[in-house]
Amino acid sequence: MSAGEERRGTFAELSHVQLEKPGLRRAIGSAMDRFVVNRANAFAGADLEAMRRTGEAIRAHTVANLDRYLAQFADAAAARGTKVFFAGDGAEAVDYVRGVIRRHGATRVAKGKSMASEEIGLNHALEADGVDVVETDLGEYIVQIAHEPPSHIIVPAIHKTRDDVADLFNDVHRTHLPADPPELTRFARELLRDRFLAAEVGITGVNFAVADAGAFVVVTNEGNGRMCSTLPKVHVALMGMERIVPSFRELALMLPLLTGSATGQRVTAYLNVVGGPRSADDVDGPEELHVVVLDNGRSKLLGTEYRSVLHCIRCGACQNVCPVYRQVGGHGYGAVYGGPIGAVLTPLLDGFERAGDLPNASSLCAACTDVCPVRIPLHEHLLSLRRDVARERAGAAERSAFRTWSGVWSRAWSYRLAARLGRVGQVMFARGGRIRRAPFPLSRWTSGRDLPPIASRTFRERWKRGGGRPGNGSAGGS
Amino acid sequence: MEADAFLARVRAGLAGVAAAPLPERRPPTPASGDGRLFDRFAEELEKAGGTARWVNRQDLSAEIYEIAAGAGATSAVVAEDVGEFRDRVDRALADAGCAAGPVTREAATSADLGVTGAVAGVCSTGSVLLRATPASPRVASLLPPAHVAILHEAALLPGFEELFDLLGEELRGANAAVLVTGPSRTSDIELTLVRGVHGPKSMTALVVREE
Repeated sequence: MSAGEERRGTFAELSHVQLEKPGLRRAIGSAMDRFVVNRANAFAGADLEAMRRTGEAIRAHTVANLDRYLAQFADAAAARGTKVFFAGDGAEAVDYVRGVIRRHGATRVAKGKSMASEEIGLNHALEADGVDVVETDLGEYIVQIAHEPPSHIIVPAIHKTRDDVADLFNDVHRTHLPADPPELTRFARELLRDRFLAAEVGITGVNFAVADAGAFVVVTNEGNGRMCSTLPKVHVALMGMERIVPSFRELALMLPLLTGSATGQRVTAYLNVVGGPRSADDVDGPEELHVVVLDNGRSKLLGTEYRSVLHCIRCGACQNVCPVYRQVGGHGYGAVYGGPIGAVLTPLLDGFERAGDLPNASSLCAACTDVCPVRIPLHEHLLSLRRDVARERAGAAERSAFRTWSGVWSRAWSYRLAARLGRVGQVMFARGGRIRRAPFPLSRWTSGRDLPPIASRTFRERWKRGGGRPGNGSAGGS
Repeated sequence: MEADAFLARVRAGLAGVAAAPLPERRPPTPASGDGRLFDRFAEELEKAGGTARWVNRQDLSAEIYEIAAGAGATSAVVAEDVGEFRDRVDRALADAGCAAGPVTREAATSADLGVTGAVAGVCSTGSVLLRATPASPRVASLLPPAHVAILHEAALLPGFEELFDLLGEELRGANAAVLVTGPSRTSDIELTLVRGVHGPKSMTALVVREE
């Protein structure tokens, strides 16, 4: 199971907190709008559907042969002098990284962006050991010093305005920086440059491991990934076990799909290809290179209908288009992975006990499925998960209530009777064409939204009166 | 956990999963070539905030001089993989009052300029491919605030397909490689683009014409 942070509340509780924050929805919404436009521009003129279908096929093939490709990667990487460790769960991965750090007597770690490290709660474990861990992606650095988790896969600090960031820097570093992104960035550059040079261990994520080459790629725009993999004498890369492709040839398609979907870029500023530790005559590069391959609950998805969630390439496009994410932001989910992919992945990895409410954080509009570069049917997974969670959770009373409901609505006479009873019953609650507060159990629905009342005349009644001719019934009524 | 046990668990999970063939045909992407070489390369690199120059051998010195003098550079590290252009580079830097030396981590930390070769250019994206070798250490294109990459016209590739066909081979004799597209940048604060974060603030590719 995950060693990540405990959730600090349910989606209903956490999202309410986020909705109260002034300006948050506007900040997230306008950023997401720009991502959506950038993505459209990035793929303009390309046959995106053909790219998505091929991307899906490449991912499906790779995951269906994952044991073979992982073994091939491990052999090829070992032949290049890279140490590959297979971690069954988060705790094993954390212990391994701690062991590497301890063996080198290291106290300073520079870290590039890695969702897998968030998933296993690595920073907290290392800090508990007294290791000084600094996040070096600007957005990650901002959320680290704010003691917050990232709120978006690609832009972790998107929920913060320039004023928030200036206040934060000035508070933490006792500076008087203006709320100006170039100034704030320059300050972070100078501060982090010293940390890069002093770090004994660099930790990064992996975007794609290449099975036949025993190498892996890390994409960044800032160059921090290159710093972490070049300057410290030890480099540790963490990867979810599904993050692999058969050969470099696949990257010609997968990388433009990733960066186009993520930031609307054809390519990032740096596509860093790591093949092994330095040779005796190299001037720089790490003396030791470790790759930690993480299962952490993934293998149990392989034989299920949810296997395709392992096709995900972590672009964040599903977050950008999700009407729920755009309202509540990443922190509303209380999980490492927010948005539609998080609402699917978190309950599957962390269990229904901890995250069974997340599949409800969706309108099932399917915008996520339409935008996914590898065509993961996210909204279908969300619906299936609701079914699975209900099966596991529903008590005898709830089950019998829904059986009755379904029985009543399956026969015309009882359906009509129910509508008539409801029409009478709602009189006490409907105000101004809305039911704002309904009695239990419907109060669970109306605590968050209004319920439209049952129409004063049903469609069947209107149809009868109109003699069956369309357009003859009186307008309105609902 | 033991590799064998880990892989056995994966294999067990995949029992009964239908075969999914690897697609042979791949559709073109926005990073595929469009038939144009240098003009596309320059156009894309400039979009990414970098600069591309199409130069004759004899103009190389003038370009390097201009870059070093323009940046007010007083020190530079020059990678050995600039190869046959070494003399021209050194002379231009000397003329610009810029002390040049070999690439070490210490020298690169304080240098104003890093000059390297590049093994390929990708025209669809305006990128250059650098191999990390003893003759071309990574810090030369990473630590100084300005980076100049010199490559032969013949090293220009149309797009990503050609690049990735080559990459496995390029990596055989090197422990790392990097595809660089323009200067380092971030949009992490309110999606405002800022150039020059951890890597160089300026990046120039000099493509040397065959004569």
